[in-house]
Amino acid sequence: MTSFIIRRLLITMVLVFFISIVSFFIITLTPGSPYPWGELDPKISQTVKDNFRKQFHLDEPMWKQYYLNMRGLFSGDLRSIKDGRPVLERIGERLPATLALNVCAIVISLSFGLLIGVYSARNAGRWPDVTLSVFSFAMLALPGFWISYLVIIGITAWFGTPLLGTASYGTVFPNAASQFLDYAWHLALPASLLALGGIAAQSRYVRASMIETLGEDYIRTARAKGLDEETVSYKHALRNSIRPLITGIGGLLPALIGGSIIIESIFAYPGIGRLGYQAVLERDYPTLIALNFITAALVLLGNLLADILYAAVDPRVRLE
Amino acid sequence: MRTVKFLIYGIPLLLSLLYVGAFWNATQLSTSRKNELTIGSVGEPTKINPILSTDSAASQVESLIFEGLLRYSADLELEPGLAREFALSQTTTFFFASPESALAAREILLGLADRWQEWTLRDVVTDGRELRIDLVQPGLDTSRLIADLVAIEPITIIAQVRAETGKDAREILAAFRAANPEIDVVREWFDYDAVFEISVLGDGAAISKTLEAFLLEKKVESSAVKLLDELNFLAEPVVRFTLRDGVLWQDGVEFSSRDVAFTFWALTDASIGSPRKPDFDLIQSLATPTPHEVVVTYRKPFSPALGSWTMPIIPAHILEGKPIAWWDEFFHRNPVGLGPFKFAEWKTNEFIRLERNPTYYDGAPWLDAIVIRTLPDPIANRLAFETRQVDYWNVDPWAVKAFQEDPRFDVFSAPAKQYNWVGWNLRLPMFQDLRVRQAFAHAVNVPDMIKYVLYGNGVQSTGIFPPMYWFANPDIEPIPYDPDRARALLDEAGWQVGPDGIRVKDGERLSFKLITNQGVETRKDIATLVQDNLKGIGVDVQVEIYEWAVFISRFVMKQEFESLVLAWTTPPDYDAFQVWHSSQANADQLNLVGYNNPKVDRLLEQIRQEYDREKIIEMAGEIQRTIYEDQPLLFLYVPDSTSVVWKDSFRIRRPTPEGWIDTPIEMTKAGWTYYLQWFYRPEYADKMPPA
Repeated sequence: MTSFIIRRLLITMVLVFFISIVSFFIITLTPGSPYPWGELDPKISQTVKDNFRKQFHLDEPMWKQYYLNMRGLFSGDLRSIKDGRPVLERIGERLPATLALNVCAIVISLSFGLLIGVYSARNAGRWPDVTLSVFSFAMLALPGFWISYLVIIGITAWFGTPLLGTASYGTVFPNAASQFLDYAWHLALPASLLALGGIAAQSRYVRASMIETLGEDYIRTARAKGLDEETVSYKHALRNSIRPLITGIGGLLPALIGGSIIIESIFAYPGIGRLGYQAVLERDYPTLIALNFITAALVLLGNLLADILYAAVDPRVRLE
Repeated sequence: MRTVKFLIYGIPLLLSLLYVGAFWNATQLSTSRKNELTIGSVGEPTKINPILSTDSAASQVESLIFEGLLRYSADLELEPGLAREFALSQTTTFFFASPESALAAREILLGLADRWQEWTLRDVVTDGRELRIDLVQPGLDTSRLIADLVAIEPITIIAQVRAETGKDAREILAAFRAANPEIDVVREWFDYDAVFEISVLGDGAAISKTLEAFLLEKKVESSAVKLLDELNFLAEPVVRFTLRDGVLWQDGVEFSSRDVAFTFWALTDASIGSPRKPDFDLIQSLATPTPHEVVVTYRKPFSPALGSWTMPIIPAHILEGKPIAWWDEFFHRNPVGLGPFKFAEWKTNEFIRLERNPTYYDGAPWLDAIVIRTLPDPIANRLAFETRQVDYWNVDPWAVKAFQEDPRFDVFSAPAKQYNWVGWNLRLPMFQDLRVRQAFAHAVNVPDMIKYVLYGNGVQSTGIFPPMYWFANPDIEPIPYDPDRARALLDEAGWQVGPDGIRVKDGERLSFKLITNQGVETRKDIATLVQDNLKGIGVDVQVEIYEWAVFISRFVMKQEFESLVLAWTTPPDYDAFQVWHSSQANADQLNLVGYNNPKVDRLLEQIRQEYDREKIIEMAGEIQRTIYEDQPLLFLYVPDSTSVVWKDSFRIRRPTPEGWIDTPIEMTKAGWTYYLQWFYRPEYADKMPPA
């Protein structure tokens, strides 16, 4: 097990290195420039442009730019071209809001996914199952931004409640509880919209796995022992049905700090997705490089974690 | 099993309860508003520092926190700001062969004392072989006249030489001067440390050659020497600012000329790298004789430079001696200025909160705070406005009518400071015939375009200056839509209708590409309408649309296009040199269509040296009219920019020369928020001092 983990970590490091090279070139070779001014600004002189390129090493050869960026990333003083602040600080200040949103979304999608999956499996083939299945497929198929627009337009049209950002603005709150609930309200909407796809997918996994488990011999044995249906489902069947959920947790690691560009933009939520999107539009190479690097590392670590968890839940799996 | 069941049913139930509670709470929030203005902004400032940021989100915040020596009035004219007053003058220096000649020249001028007033001449002094005259009105005309009068004495020609050295310009010039002590350098100026420009007495060509040889010998890589000009005299305009007394920075420190000097240093220093530097490149020196005086000497007459002093001043007592990384990490997220509102809080990607500055020199604002929220999504912006989460919204043209008809809102509309156009690449023979361009102008139905693309919210453009500026020419009639006239013009130009309905001349079809960029719907619409209109007179247009970065780098800046749709935003400045002078038509320059008219070239050069308001209006009008007649662009329209505000949410109580007045929000040429400092919410009226 230990040697497996060490070996995998080594492979991960090599992979991250290659990913960083490829993504660096994709990022920097895209047309467009990181100049903070417009290309058509008549007032910018050549010396100002040259000075800017020198400041951010844009006049160096590509390999040297890559080296400087990577060195900056690891020593922590890689600075954004956009506002000159350390990239890690820019990412760090968005972490609390991003974590709050994503943890909420994950909790919602796991808990409701489990609920719907179990309920569907226990009622397999009957109308609640059919309805929920249609709902799940619809949620998987419909684009999130479209649903989000419908929801925010609907809520503002019918109730007129504020729902953008992380709090209501210009309002006088009567007490702390009200302020907390206001915060929860602003978090709940984007989190549940972010979770919709997750709920649909998780519920399908759990349902399929549970139906399969319910058909196993040992379940029949349990029923034959005279155990009631509740005990059979919740004590015997469920344990083996939630394996896909548990192994899926590894895959959630990058999602935890990764952002959602669309939901964050629509809800004006201050997350990492918007940071990345802004950085792409502004060609803020250092920020993009750092974000790409962190995401790549987390995806690979998540995969590793999934493998380990899988072995932990299922004694039949051995890591060699 | 209990735990399992709790996990499955209990958590979703708890979450749902919380959800309902939060929603109930949201519906119960009181609708009473704080005495604040909340603004929704699509972008977020990069850094709050007026000398470094170039994005509109930042300048919106900066205009509230910071203040310049001068500012624009409600009519978009320059007026005193931090400077109580400003006075223009000019020192013109002649160099004579000997001190005796200088004295003799002075005698000549003293003998003509009766003409001094006409020349605006104040004083004549000599200093060795230099003769300096002090004029009230900057410009070249009087100096030229005087040069002719004093030139009976032998006058020395001044050569202006520019050398690009890439680096170490200061060291290299010092070494050059040491190696050639006989060369008399009377002025030097450095563009960072990469370029120097010198004014030298004597033969320009010879001196350039000496300098070139020196650079070659010193092995200065990729250097270039250029003789810029040879002059009879140096005309150096001077602007003298008198600063207001007792103005305080938002942290309580007193503002003084030291801050102005520091701002100037920061603007022009390479370690800061300000993109605003080119506006200050013509300054020879900036002196601060007293804490309340600033004297700026320019290298040559350049009247638009005055406008650059609307540049906000940054605090020397905070920034001096700190490295730029410190500015980025601390000051740019926690700025201190001299403006009506002071910085309070910035939550990244959420909001920036500004609070009233009780010590603002022009009177503390009525509002307690201004909150600028970042709302990246346009639909979210509108919804935030409709739920009163922001106080106003900049309406898209298609929605203007609905808001105008809705009694709950006030709508403020005024022409934007820009114009949209279709440009013909005049380097191509096809577009060189004026009749062809006129035909296109007659063929495109601009009034209909305004009706359908802008839903009527705009006016037809009549040239390069939009109508709200004082120097714009109000007498230009727009070219009318007249397809018959267009056909006649093309016939006249020799373009005959061919077998497929497309016009042909000498075997060439009248067919070209019209390109524009993605992301701006109106440009796509324009391209389609132009294509359709021109098809009606037998012209084949193919529309192609590119991503912005590709559009700019591959086509526009290389000037490899046939025709394009674009818009220019126009500052309150009559200097259109970079966009229209024939010397600016190379790759990476901004005379994109390659316009070349010697008359316009001359006017563009002259207007920069003109300080007389009437003459500026006359010249600007002539430039605008000539370019409009030449039709290098098909001038389309000036769109309206429209804002909608909840009715009666704000009023204005402001001082006028006649005393305080209390009015609803007023529209000015500078926009409806011009009097923001004097906005207040009517429900807080009783807490304000009586008007």
